[in-house]
Amino acid sequence: MKNQGNPYIPHLATVEDTWYETYGDRAIKTFRVVFQEEEVKEAWEHKPGQCAMIGVLGVGESMISISSSPTEGNFLRFSVMRMGKVTQALHQLEPGDTMTVRGPYGNNFPLEEWKGKKILTIGGGIGQAPLRPIVEYVRANKSDYGDLTVLYGARTSNDLCFKNEFDELQKCQTVSSCHLSVDLEEEGWTHFVGFVPTMLMEVNPSPENTIAITCGPPIMIKFVLQNLKKLGFEDEQIYTTLENRMKCGIGKCGRCNAGPLYVCKDGPVFSYATLKEIPEAFA
Amino acid sequence: MTEKVLQKENWSSFVQALADARELWLPVKEGPLHKFVPYSSEQETPVDLEGYANSSVPPKEAVFPQTETMFRYQTGDQEICPPEAIKERVLLGVRPCDARAMDLVDHVFQWDEDDTYYLDRRKKTALLGLACHEPFPNCFCTSLEGSPGSTQGLDVLMVDLGESYYLRAVTDRGKKILQSVESSLEEASEQGKQAEEIIKKAEGKIGRKVEAEDVPEKLAQLWEDPLWDRISRACLGCGTCTYLCPTCHCFDIQDEVEGYEGRRCRMWDSCMFGEYTLHASGHNPRPSRRERTRNRINHKYHYFVRKFDKIACVGCGRCITSCPVNIDILDILSRVKEAL
Amino acid sequence: MVDQAVIREKAKEIVSREDVKHLVGWRKGTFGYRVSPHWVETPEDAEKLIFSPLCSPNLTTYLTLEEKLPLPKGEEPDRRKTALLVKGCDSRAAVQLLTEQGIEKEQVLILGVPCRGVIDQRKLEEKFPEALGGVEAEWDGDKIRLRFPEGEKEIAREELLAGNCLNCRYPNPVWAEEILGDEVEPWSDGKAPGVEELEKASPDDRWAFWEKEFSRCLRCYSCRNVCPMCYCEDCILDRLNPTWVYRSVNYSENTAFHIARAFHLVGRCVGCGECERVCPAGIPLGKLNQKMVEEVRDKYGFEAGTDPESLPFQASYDPQDQEDFIL
Repeated sequence: MKNQGNPYIPHLATVEDTWYETYGDRAIKTFRVVFQEEEVKEAWEHKPGQCAMIGVLGVGESMISISSSPTEGNFLRFSVMRMGKVTQALHQLEPGDTMTVRGPYGNNFPLEEWKGKKILTIGGGIGQAPLRPIVEYVRANKSDYGDLTVLYGARTSNDLCFKNEFDELQKCQTVSSCHLSVDLEEEGWTHFVGFVPTMLMEVNPSPENTIAITCGPPIMIKFVLQNLKKLGFEDEQIYTTLENRMKCGIGKCGRCNAGPLYVCKDGPVFSYATLKEIPEAFA
Repeated sequence: MTEKVLQKENWSSFVQALADARELWLPVKEGPLHKFVPYSSEQETPVDLEGYANSSVPPKEAVFPQTETMFRYQTGDQEICPPEAIKERVLLGVRPCDARAMDLVDHVFQWDEDDTYYLDRRKKTALLGLACHEPFPNCFCTSLEGSPGSTQGLDVLMVDLGESYYLRAVTDRGKKILQSVESSLEEASEQGKQAEEIIKKAEGKIGRKVEAEDVPEKLAQLWEDPLWDRISRACLGCGTCTYLCPTCHCFDIQDEVEGYEGRRCRMWDSCMFGEYTLHASGHNPRPSRRERTRNRINHKYHYFVRKFDKIACVGCGRCITSCPVNIDILDILSRVKEAL
Repeated sequence: MVDQAVIREKAKEIVSREDVKHLVGWRKGTFGYRVSPHWVETPEDAEKLIFSPLCSPNLTTYLTLEEKLPLPKGEEPDRRKTALLVKGCDSRAAVQLLTEQGIEKEQVLILGVPCRGVIDQRKLEEKFPEALGGVEAEWDGDKIRLRFPEGEKEIAREELLAGNCLNCRYPNPVWAEEILGDEVEPWSDGKAPGVEELEKASPDDRWAFWEKEFSRCLRCYSCRNVCPMCYCEDCILDRLNPTWVYRSVNYSENTAFHIARAFHLVGRCVGCGECERVCPAGIPLGKLNQKMVEEVRDKYGFEAGTDPESLPFQASYDPQDQEDFIL
């Protein structure tokens, strides 16, 4: 959605609510924002998998995946890890403050194509943020999809995002099974202990009529892909999202390419079948 | 076909008439650098269209400035002010390769989303081209569908006939421009044929060549080849080749604030810089000059072809001339062709 | 004088050694008068090596330019030596890197070649436009002989040499495993005429001069990248957090960049002249850095890269240092 016909001028959005998911050096903070202009708020449309360039005037912008599904309401949710200059400035925003938003950018998870199939999401750490809209969308459209299985893990229970939501997910009807893991033994932890790829083998999902979507740290993705292949998943059944440094978000500034594909435009959603051909994709 | 002749003694009145109607850009020498700048009659440095092969900095600056304010804002009130409009302009003395390069860059800036800054400038910029009669030692435009007299992308083509210039309008806008300066021009008769001869002679003078049709396919197979180590060893990782390349278009976006007033601006960036693809986490998918050189060559001769069906190089040779360590694209291409 | 055959033979011998990875020298470039760096890994590669007044590139910069990437598991780093051909100024760069601990002594094998000054490419193009079609050069007493396809021409050395060569005090390599040629007589007391001129001008005139020069700067960073002394992995002038110098290109930011870099080179610049040679905008950076070189020489009696045992200038304090100009 352009502002005055110019794709680089952002819209202004107000932070309605914000809370920390995790603490520490690389804290993760979630923002729920609402566009200030009514027309933008009404006209905005996005699909799960898309991202937006969010930022603070005077500091800059970062491409962050929209972690809310359009089925949830007229707001946008972003979960931001504090890493550099812009994310630091974003973390200082409190309810009532203004954030700049422009987008939605990128392609989306082909949820139309996936109708009738079983959905398996495998997330690690902050990687759950782009997978969350799939979970919410499928839950909202339960009759169109088969079983929904959610696998999610982090290093420790303090590093898990969306903790309050997972409690609900484990009990609700719309999710067939929800599995959480932490890497090492922890007092009070009653779920799986081990790495996410190992938990995947434990859960042993059947590849039949299933789409697997994974997102997380590169090392986790590497082993999840290996294990999915071991379980019999075909390349076309596996999806992931890539990330790269971005500035324009619209395929002009040239820097986000992985081989011939621009992550901001041809991605961030890619099937493993596509990525296999691109040596730079897993750099 | 609108064909005219300009006697060289009427050059100043021709230039003045062009400048009166719109903003005129001419190649001017600043130190050892030739670049296109807006012309003013108080110009100290004289214009020398005969004394150079091509401008050091390509005329892409006119449509894609080195630094450009995207918009200004107030951080207190959180108010955004869009940029000011720019005027109509005409560039005089553009070589055919640079005009073709602008057509290539258009593909990127019109891909799905319109880059309004670039396209607005493009629409308002007319190009008066000057055919080359003395190609530079490193020119190889003829190997890449170009020619010293190509009219692609130009509004008017001028050819230096010695005592006069031959001018031919290529587009309607070109025709209108020639009409607006009619008083300094004469009708052309035999000059058209003379111009063709000069262009043909110039094509014959181009010394360096490459057969580039098979390069895109070959590059696809050479991803892990050791030739990239050898090619990138001498590279300093500076931005000279990219800044002086007429088809390079990468840019950075930065915010600059003083007090409560600020601007978001964009400026040229280079894929050869170390921190071009550096993630905030510290991870860099192209950590060394080897990956960056491989990416640059692939982008120009392979990825661009896959996307837009054209090689993103016009053979102007600036990268060869200006590279401080003599990394030569024609040398690289010959190694690519030999590697398989 | 330096015999190219001697250089080639020595190079063949050196690269055949087990403890040497490769040798970096010069070879004829792909057009005109250009010379490019050449990596010799096998004795056959050595045949391409040349040494002439056209060999401007300072190869010491490659000692620090090579990226140290993490190795795959189980692989040991390659600890073999890099052999390097250096002129006088280049050898000083290597010594300066040693004193700063930018390189280790065991990492390098320096082969020195005495030099009588290299040709300024812009002066060559101006006086001999035909040089773009191909030329070879050699020193001949106080003249330079140029060999074109059409014939030979001669010109006095002073008319063609690069600025920093005209005031060179160290034409012979100051530190090398072996020197491949007869030593040459130094010809200058070190005072750069271009700098003297500017020193005599008024502050307003000096600002006007530099404003004109820095307005042309493209911020390509060639000067910084070619400089053997600029090897910080994370250059402070690139930093965004905080942003010391904006990336936008204008006179103000450009000046900040160049002045900051000149100050980071105080007591470290060896006057090799590469920054001025590589600048596509032709900014006389040599004048700026040479001024700092002269200041340090006059006030502290220190010259970068002349003594492998010396401490880095900016990092050491001598109670005998002059202080009268500080306040």
